[in-house]
Amino acid sequence: MTFSRPSTVEEAVAALSAGEQVAPLAGGATLMAIANAGLVELEGLVQMAGVGELSGSSRSDDGTVRIGAMRLHRKTAGDDLLIDGQRVIADAAGQIGNPAIRNMGTIGGSVAFADPAADYLPSLLAADAVLELAGPSGRREVPAADFFLGWMETALAENEIIVAVRVPPAPAGSVGIYRKMSRVAGDFATISVALVLQMDGETCADIRIGVGGCNPTPVRVPDAETALVGSDLNTDAVDVAARQITDACEPQDDVRASAAYRSRVLPRIIGRVVTEGRQIALEGS
Amino acid sequence: MTRNIPVSLEINGDPHDLRVALSDSILDVLRDQLQLTGAKRGCNQGVCGACTVLVDGRAVRGCLTNAAACEGEAVTTVEGLAEGLTLHPVQEAFVEAGAMQCGFCTPGMVLATAALLSENPTASREDVVQALSSNLCRCSGYQVIIDAALAALETGVEIGGEAGA
Amino acid sequence: MSKLEARVGIRMPRVDAPETVAGEAMYTDDFYLPGMLFGAVHGSPIAHGRILSIDTSEAEAVTGVKAVITGRDYNHVLAGPFIKDETMFATDRVRYVGEPVAAVAATTPEAAREAASLIEVEYEDLPAVLSIDEALAEDAPVLHEDLASYFCTFEGKGTGNTLCAGDLTEGDVDAAWAECDVIVEQTYETGAQHHLYMEPSGAVAEPDRQGKVTIWSSLQSISLAQQRVAEWVNIPMAKVRMVAPRIGGGFGGKGNAHFQPAAAALALKTGRPVKLMLTRSEDFEMMRSRHPSRVHMKTGAKADGTLVAREFEVILDCGAYADDSPGVVSVAVLMGRGPYRIPNIRARGVGVYTNKLKAGAYRGYGNPQVSFAAEQQLDELAEKLGMDPVDLRLKNTMNDGDRWLGGQPVAVSSAAKCLETARDAATAAPALPDAGPDRKRGLGYALFSAPHGLLSTAANVALRTDGSIAVATGAVDIGQGSDTILQQIVADALKLDLDQISFASQDTDSSPYDWKTAASRVTYMAGQACLNAAIEAREKILVHASDLMEVAPGDLELRDGGKVGIVGIPEKEITFGMIAGRAHYQTGGPVVGASEIMFETPAVDPAVAQSKGLAFSKVGAYSFGAHAVEVEVDEVTGEVEVLRAWCVHDVGRAINPAMVDGQVIGGFVQGLGYALLEEMVWDPDDGRLANPTLMDYKIPTAREMPEIHSIILETPFGDGPHGARGVGEPPIVGAPVAIANAIANAIGKRPTVMPMKPERILDLLDGESA
Ligand SMILES: Cc1cc2nc3c(=O)[nH]c(=O)nc-3n(C[C@H](O)[C@H](O)[C@H](O)COP(=O)(O)OP(=O)(O)OC[C@H]3O[C@@H](n4cnc5c(N)ncnc54)[C@H](O)[C@@H]3O)c2cc1C
Ligand code: FES
Ligand code: FES
Repeated sequence: MTFSRPSTVEEAVAALSAGEQVAPLAGGATLMAIANAGLVELEGLVQMAGVGELSGSSRSDDGTVRIGAMRLHRKTAGDDLLIDGQRVIADAAGQIGNPAIRNMGTIGGSVAFADPAADYLPSLLAADAVLELAGPSGRREVPAADFFLGWMETALAENEIIVAVRVPPAPAGSVGIYRKMSRVAGDFATISVALVLQMDGETCADIRIGVGGCNPTPVRVPDAETALVGSDLNTDAVDVAARQITDACEPQDDVRASAAYRSRVLPRIIGRVVTEGRQIALEGS
Repeated sequence: MTRNIPVSLEINGDPHDLRVALSDSILDVLRDQLQLTGAKRGCNQGVCGACTVLVDGRAVRGCLTNAAACEGEAVTTVEGLAEGLTLHPVQEAFVEAGAMQCGFCTPGMVLATAALLSENPTASREDVVQALSSNLCRCSGYQVIIDAALAALETGVEIGGEAGA
Repeated sequence: MSKLEARVGIRMPRVDAPETVAGEAMYTDDFYLPGMLFGAVHGSPIAHGRILSIDTSEAEAVTGVKAVITGRDYNHVLAGPFIKDETMFATDRVRYVGEPVAAVAATTPEAAREAASLIEVEYEDLPAVLSIDEALAEDAPVLHEDLASYFCTFEGKGTGNTLCAGDLTEGDVDAAWAECDVIVEQTYETGAQHHLYMEPSGAVAEPDRQGKVTIWSSLQSISLAQQRVAEWVNIPMAKVRMVAPRIGGGFGGKGNAHFQPAAAALALKTGRPVKLMLTRSEDFEMMRSRHPSRVHMKTGAKADGTLVAREFEVILDCGAYADDSPGVVSVAVLMGRGPYRIPNIRARGVGVYTNKLKAGAYRGYGNPQVSFAAEQQLDELAEKLGMDPVDLRLKNTMNDGDRWLGGQPVAVSSAAKCLETARDAATAAPALPDAGPDRKRGLGYALFSAPHGLLSTAANVALRTDGSIAVATGAVDIGQGSDTILQQIVADALKLDLDQISFASQDTDSSPYDWKTAASRVTYMAGQACLNAAIEAREKILVHASDLMEVAPGDLELRDGGKVGIVGIPEKEITFGMIAGRAHYQTGGPVVGASEIMFETPAVDPAVAQSKGLAFSKVGAYSFGAHAVEVEVDEVTGEVEVLRAWCVHDVGRAINPAMVDGQVIGGFVQGLGYALLEEMVWDPDDGRLANPTLMDYKIPTAREMPEIHSIILETPFGDGPHGARGVGEPPIVGAPVAIANAIANAIGKRPTVMPMKPERILDLLDGESA
């Protein structure tokens, strides 16, 4: 049983490759919970906290914000580097669990675990985020849209880690909001909607809608969005798009709600979030 | 699980050199090795907050904090708040307000309040509700706990932020 | 606290608050004894089956394992408070997932758990019944084939899967329907709520070389637990010592021992202390739940609103063992009329076995389930009659001297006053800003009552040689603050500072008997016993003082801080210490006051009502309350938010108003959870609990808490200490149905199934638009 404390990405990857049941330890908010429940047998842990490259966030000249995998939810929630539509990620971060969980959990841990109800997931889709990965065969980049493959299944290869999340600049003047329906404060989402919206006067110039909690993976339906661009986001148009997005979801029955409930409510919530986003965008201009 | 991982950390100001098992939480270590039982095990899943401890001043879940990962950290438990027989202002405020029934959630609530006090001494009622929503209480209905936390904030400010943990 | 003018009626913190905030209060899991072993339970993985064989050899081979015990080792003593149907371990049959089959003690918790998981049990699966309907189906598999032979404390034992059935009638219901101008009839269902005390259950048992075992365990009664341990481990009660540690909440769920005897048995077998803590999930799966219920109710009134008749049947889903169920069924029946005059009643209460963990006592004890139906029916009637729901209630509330259902006289009824106060408070409150689009607001009321007199208790008050006072009672403080309140009562009777009282923690070796902390009875029952004992001690003190001061006892008065003085002569006084010296060393012997009381008033007066098969013969002493609740319903999602609540409770006398507020606000929020979100769900395929974790089973957080106004009324009820009655249970009786009525008021549709989850509300809303 080993516990390693690497300081570089390469050391971390090497440490992971050293054994069978060796896992990266980020905040531990999920990993320790499942270990306590006896759902994993760990043989080794690689503590990511000391890997400098995974910490902090930065903004490059083109407006891309790079969030280190070990960045705490609390920090991301208050990250002023995220502007315009990029705020959707900060908004999601601020609604994860409760303050104590946000003091522990990291974006890398959340994205790697890929709980279909996790708050970051739909917001990463809406923000067109890209994941920087590093593994035994080197580094690569995977768009968030291609990262989530199935129920808690991701594009991460064996012993590959998330190094950072890159959030490209959002359209100028766009808004980014994240809305979450949950049974109580601090719970995972029953249904959630992430929205990035740019208005040109009364006309929708750009819109991206990510949905969480309603499918084994987060959902985005580009066709539905394209149909809205150029419209004034009237109720009928939004309703058509919302239904199209809902049709793309395969919700499951779980303790939070039935699949039928999600199918019924999701289009209405999308409608509500788009209306709210539009309102904010119009007020802002 | 064998305790084969050495870890050095500070608990309530005292240095400790311990050996922990791979998946030991700091809660396991505090309770089983050090018999510091102020942090409670309400769920072991990160949900209830009864196990709250401060790691470098921040309120976190003791049950989800890997012990080996605490190398070099400063951990504060509820036992570390009072100075001898003098209770911490937050503890005083909880006593004064009668902010407990069964008391099982109380250590966690006290620490969550102490952390809030040092992070945001001018926290509003809204902020307090947010911060304490991390911790479950089944007895009180929360109102009296929130009142106690607000009272502590007032006192804490008066004594010049000394209340921060 | 030295100059305590008043000791009763003041807001003061719990006496043990300082050690609680310091993290020094000792709960069960905080005990670490030298040489201590750790226990673990092997629970059944299936909902219903026959045990064909149990092989413990692999478990015994695990390093560190010191003992493995199963039902084979114990002689199958059947136990239970009403029907003796449960053994320490399942031996031939398992009847729910999680039912203890074996237990292990080992040197580490990990070894104990590993060993427990290695116990090989071969089962023959039997079909499981998981609902009331399945249990009552004609060809249903029968859980307890030996039910007929089980010992039973009352006459209503049932057959098949019906464990008990009782009836209560007053007047002539069949004839009365003809007098009614309006009649409402409806079926209501409620779900299984978990107590979710924040402290999971556990026990630490320490043996000695005389064959005696001492047990610290989070329980609501030391006396019931002592008896259960003795029964199951098969040793005399003299060899069992139960000590109450700090209790991290109970709410009914920790009413009696269950796995604690296993801890005791392991300790006695190994000769070492054993700590057996349930994980949160084990606690969910093994302890108790609130009874799921189905209530069918029909109520009729005259056109002017006079209530004429009611008929109802309440069926409770009791789970695999009877436990407190017959009592809960009886109380549900008794509470089905509420604090109203309805002359014609026919009531039936039924409890059925199902293959789920046992349902048991839970704050309210059948009352919230039946009130969920009854208080909605009044709103339904009001709507049909075109009357204001509060006016309809006020027209029919019981008055002083009326009789409770069954015939017990109610000397003092403040039902109307409670309801009027709630309405006044709600209507006087400033309106909130308008609700947003797609949101509707509603206001709902509930009027309710609860009994607090039940069974027996005792207390001792003794004068120590220095004049301080020692108080002993067996009533366990489970968080509600009774240790403090009982001390306030004694301090008041003897004009002492609280510092001059030592209050014994509850210990079966030394505490007088108390049945248990339940039914909001501690202030009412143990409070009376403590007060009586203090008064007896006071009389003896005055006799000594009269001898010492050579004046008639009638000329003496108690003075603050433990003194006796001559009325009108301030400088003439002696201390309790001087009296104690005389009593202990010169004449008379130590001063001791003792009191033992029993609640003796029958629930049913045969001249008024006919009853058959009810489990409680003597229960009563009612208090009253009314809630007004404002909610907002989101028409898009069906989510309900409780915005404000005005909770009026008449407690007779608030010995400590802060603690009354604590019960009211805490009880309301627990009721809010029950109403809107809490429900244990069993997988219909395998009978497993689908949500046995705090991730899956949610309770309200600080952010769900509405604005709650606790309004205390004090109409002395006569017999309680200072006229006090209980308040632990009533808030959770009123909250859920007041919320239901508010929802109906908001959306014009009636929720009949609890919890009133968004999905169910949406069904109602969409049904409307369809
Ligand atoms: C009570 C509670 C409530 C919660 N509520 C919410 C909520 O409302 N919304 C929500 O979104 N989440 C919620 N979470 C989850 C929380 O956000 C977790 O923090 C997060 O999912 C995991 O982050 P972590 O840093 O703690 O990861 P860890 O627990 O350390 O790791 C999680 C998994 O990811 C792996 N991993 C970690 N870092 C990396 C990396 N850089 N590269 C590859 N693999 C990695 C680990 O090996 C492990 O398998 C909740 C958790 C709890 C305990
Ligand atoms: S015990 Fe850690 S959050 Fe419940
Ligand atoms: S006081 Fe009992 S859980 Fe909070």
